[in-house]
Amino acid sequence: MLEQKLKLIYDSAQKQISEASSSKNLYEAKVKYLGKSGELSLLMKEMGSLPKEERPEFGKVVNKFKKELEALYSRTEQSLKDQELAKQLEQESLDLTLPGPEIANGSVHPTPLVIDEIVDILARLGYSVRTGPLIEKDWYNFEALNIPPDHPARDEQDTFYMKPGYVLRTQTSPVQIRTLEKEKLPLRILSPGSVFRCDSDISHSPNFHQIEGLLVEKKVSMADLKGTIYFFVKEFFDKSVKIRFRPSFFPFTEPSAEVDCSCPICKGKGCRMCKNTGWVEIGGCGLVNPKVLKAAGIDPNEWQGFAFGFGIERMAIIKYGISDIRLLSDNSSFFLKQFT
Amino acid sequence: MKVSLNWLNEYTDVSSFFSNTDPLAQILTDAGLEVDAINDMAKNFSHVVMAKIIELVKHPDADKLTVCQVDIGTGELQQIVCGAKNHQQGDYVVAALPGAILPGDFKIKKSKIRGVESLGMLCSQKELALSDESEGIIVLKDDSIVPGQSFAEHFGKNDVVFELGVTANRSDCLSHIGLARELSCLLNQELKLPDSSLKASQSPTKEIISVELKDEVNCPRYTARVIKGVKVGPSPQWLKNRLESVDINSVNNVVDITNYIMLEFGQPMHAFDLHQIEGQKIEIKAAEDNEVFVSLDGSEHKLAAGDLGIYDANKLVALAGVVGGQNSGISDDTQDLLLEVAHFTPGTVRKTSRRLGISTDAAYRFSRGTDPSQVIKAMERACSLIQELCGGDVSEGVIDCYPQPIQRQKIQLAPTYLEERLGYAVAKDDFLSWMKRLGCEFCGEKNQELSFLPPSWRWDLEIKEDLVEEYGRLNGYDKIPESLPSLSYEPLTHDASYIQDRFVQSFFAKQGFYQAVNYNFLGGEALSEFLGGPGSQFEGCGFLSSEELATVQNPLSEEYNTMRPSLSPSLYKNLMTNYRSGVSSSQIFEVGKVFGVHQSEYFERRHLGLLLYGQSQNLWQNNSSTSPQVFTMKSYVENFLRSLKAKSWSWKPWEPKLSFLHPGRSATLFFEGKLMGYIGEIHPKLKSQSKLREDVAFAEFDLELLMRSFPKKPKLQELSKYPAVERDFSFVVSESVSASEIVSFIAKTNKKLIQNVSVIDRFVGGDLKAGSHSLTFRVLLQDSASTLSEEVIKSLQSEILTKVQSQFS
Repeated sequence: MLEQKLKLIYDSAQKQISEASSSKNLYEAKVKYLGKSGELSLLMKEMGSLPKEERPEFGKVVNKFKKELEALYSRTEQSLKDQELAKQLEQESLDLTLPGPEIANGSVHPTPLVIDEIVDILARLGYSVRTGPLIEKDWYNFEALNIPPDHPARDEQDTFYMKPGYVLRTQTSPVQIRTLEKEKLPLRILSPGSVFRCDSDISHSPNFHQIEGLLVEKKVSMADLKGTIYFFVKEFFDKSVKIRFRPSFFPFTEPSAEVDCSCPICKGKGCRMCKNTGWVEIGGCGLVNPKVLKAAGIDPNEWQGFAFGFGIERMAIIKYGISDIRLLSDNSSFFLKQFT
Repeated sequence: MKVSLNWLNEYTDVSSFFSNTDPLAQILTDAGLEVDAINDMAKNFSHVVMAKIIELVKHPDADKLTVCQVDIGTGELQQIVCGAKNHQQGDYVVAALPGAILPGDFKIKKSKIRGVESLGMLCSQKELALSDESEGIIVLKDDSIVPGQSFAEHFGKNDVVFELGVTANRSDCLSHIGLARELSCLLNQELKLPDSSLKASQSPTKEIISVELKDEVNCPRYTARVIKGVKVGPSPQWLKNRLESVDINSVNNVVDITNYIMLEFGQPMHAFDLHQIEGQKIEIKAAEDNEVFVSLDGSEHKLAAGDLGIYDANKLVALAGVVGGQNSGISDDTQDLLLEVAHFTPGTVRKTSRRLGISTDAAYRFSRGTDPSQVIKAMERACSLIQELCGGDVSEGVIDCYPQPIQRQKIQLAPTYLEERLGYAVAKDDFLSWMKRLGCEFCGEKNQELSFLPPSWRWDLEIKEDLVEEYGRLNGYDKIPESLPSLSYEPLTHDASYIQDRFVQSFFAKQGFYQAVNYNFLGGEALSEFLGGPGSQFEGCGFLSSEELATVQNPLSEEYNTMRPSLSPSLYKNLMTNYRSGVSSSQIFEVGKVFGVHQSEYFERRHLGLLLYGQSQNLWQNNSSTSPQVFTMKSYVENFLRSLKAKSWSWKPWEPKLSFLHPGRSATLFFEGKLMGYIGEIHPKLKSQSKLREDVAFAEFDLELLMRSFPKKPKLQELSKYPAVERDFSFVVSESVSASEIVSFIAKTNKKLIQNVSVIDRFVGGDLKAGSHSLTFRVLLQDSASTLSEEVIKSLQSEILTKVQSQFS
């Protein structure tokens, strides 16, 4: 009688556990058959009605069934969990081709970027940056640099005038004089910054940037200057560029040279950037004119120097292939984002 | 400066360069004369030849056309169909053959015209760009013409014109003789000077005119001569061609000759109509202030004291070296000439021509320096040419006022100095030979120093460095070796301002800002509108106060006449440029200077400007929780302050008088005991005027103040080993109580345990009384010595509650 009942309980428990469709169903089945007051426990309590000698055997059978059901329960539980996880995974799946929240990428403007690159290259040779005012005294901007009033070189630097005696500096060279006046020799300095010329067209901006270098030592030669410029230009553009010095004229240097380098865009084959000449003009340089040293209170018989100057926008235009100088002052995000 | 190779060839042999210009361009470039352009005129007329019409018949199918058989020197006749009417058999014409490309990119091809083959075109003046005459073809009746000769050769169009960039020191190369002299030195060949022979009459110049030189400082030399009975008329073709080749228009024979002399010698000269010169007298003296002068072209100029004038007995007839007067110039009726060839000092001429804005070829050359010693040569040459081309009697003798002949200083230098400065070994003989070719006179050697007298045309050679450059360039800059100067001392550090600017720019670039670099000047009017006044509206935010704006005396335009007093207007300009080009959100910053006038002196301060606009988030995520832009700005600024290792700062309410800022949404930064800048939202009025849909926040700081203690090392704190706990507190307080007050009040209740206080929620409305808001703070508690017990936390909690309530409710 009891055995029949046990068989019935076992069969229905097995059925309910194995067919449970959710963790909840399964748990309910567990409580119903295997719980503290579940059907198997109740059956055990009925065991008293059996003859004494049959009880151990019956107990064994109940325990065996119980273990089997518990094992079945574990298996079913695992399989249900697996199914539910699979379902969850499916539901949680995301289209990762959608964009994430935007984290803006900023950039340093190409003009200061080029200045910093040049500074870093020349700092390796011992140069350090000096700065100066943009509204400059005529004396520092012109006279001390051997450009007296009514000198034709003033024609080439169309000047913005401020109150009498002051101009918007047309070059960063006044920083040379200011530095020579107050610092110890020998020295090597760089003066990057904003300069102004009363001139505006496709290739000229009224407010652009230059970097100027000055070295003062006891003895300085054109060979020292050439070595320095060659090193710097190759580091800045590319080791393979060719460089040439062309005789030129600047009131503050003698001898003076214009520096050309083989066009880095077309590698000297000829293109729009170099106007098909294969060469691009990048700056000027020379040995410091003794008159300039004198103006800064330095004895030219004791000290010699060289100086060089480069246009930053020009360097940026050549290096990055920028088509129009105005892009460098428009500050369009479309342009600037290309420098992130 | 334009140079004709044909013309140059008269003085030194450059014939080999006509067909091969590159080597000449290289020689000039290497010598420091930059070649800007080369125009080979013959190239424009290739396949254009002189031809003779041998036979002419009517076109079988067109009344207006003729079919010509022309001789082009090949032995076979060429058939060309022509639409003109003015030609006949036996005429000489110009034929453009297949392959020719005429001006205007007009390509000539073999073609069929109404069924008749035509191998080219007979040209009109206009088709060859000789003149605007398009009626009929060019017809010449000159039997000396050889059919087949190139048109360019026959018409003197076979020239090559070099355009040179002559530097300010090389005025000696502003003429054909000057350049020929330079080339004869470079190529080591002969220089031929032109023939200046003439027949002078019996009448001495002195009896016709007298010259009184009253300003020998500004006019060291003045010469004059008279030619009577000239015939003013058109110039001969060769002279027209010469002038046209270098873009000078032909006027008449006399004026053309004066221009020719200038382009030949580099010596400007002037011709007066002798009959307009009153009192038989020329005086060279300073003009008076406000004196009025009418120049050749009829324009009126007001002079200043010190301008140098050429006067006759009664009036001003020319501005020395700049321009002649209308009252005494050459006209078609002129018969007698007074010629002036002079040497004026560069400064005088430049000053006058710059101030009056008169730029003439003469003023250009004088202000760069002319050669005083060639004045007589130029005068002789001019008289000889005038006599040849215009007729007339040249007076006897030149009046030459040259009271103090200009003496050149000798230059001494040792060859060792050359070696020292150029960086390579120099042979003395080589140096001496180059100096000789250059025209320097060798004056001997003393104590190893060589002495030279520079040539009169090279006024730029003054000191030994000038000769170093001359030798260096003549010998070739490519001979200079490369070396790196050794560093024998400790390098210095960069200026603090550079290091700081660089730190700031890299910080904000990494935070997602684009760096702007703007012009330092803006339009005064636009500025005033943007700021709401003439520029002193920044009071109260810590900026150096400016009495007035720094203005440019000669701006390019009104758009750029004022040095900017703030970076915000520039950044706003950038915002509008970007907004209009379709960028709906952006973050921009600029590190730059602002300008002003303080106690009558200009000042410049380095500023940091920031601008945020639009929401940079994904539209598809539809996130609507947006706090006003100005709070985002504040977070960026505070991030920056933390990167400066700053521990504390505060924001003070500020009601700016600036019209671009919202008066209720602006604050100034109080840091290290000073106000030093502001943050704020765009004024709604400006926002709607500019049709901006997005919010805009501005910030600007005085970088020199902000970075006073930069760089600072971080002060490290020991880390606590014990866990931290968070507790939240909500208070309902009056809206007049600012969150930051409560934050700092809570922080002070227990400095040891309270590590941080932040505002996590603010609520208004609902059941709250009007005028009050609910603020929720999150307090982070941590002890460095032990784990916090529940009792300690509870007692601190109730302390905070009681104290805040009693303080603020």
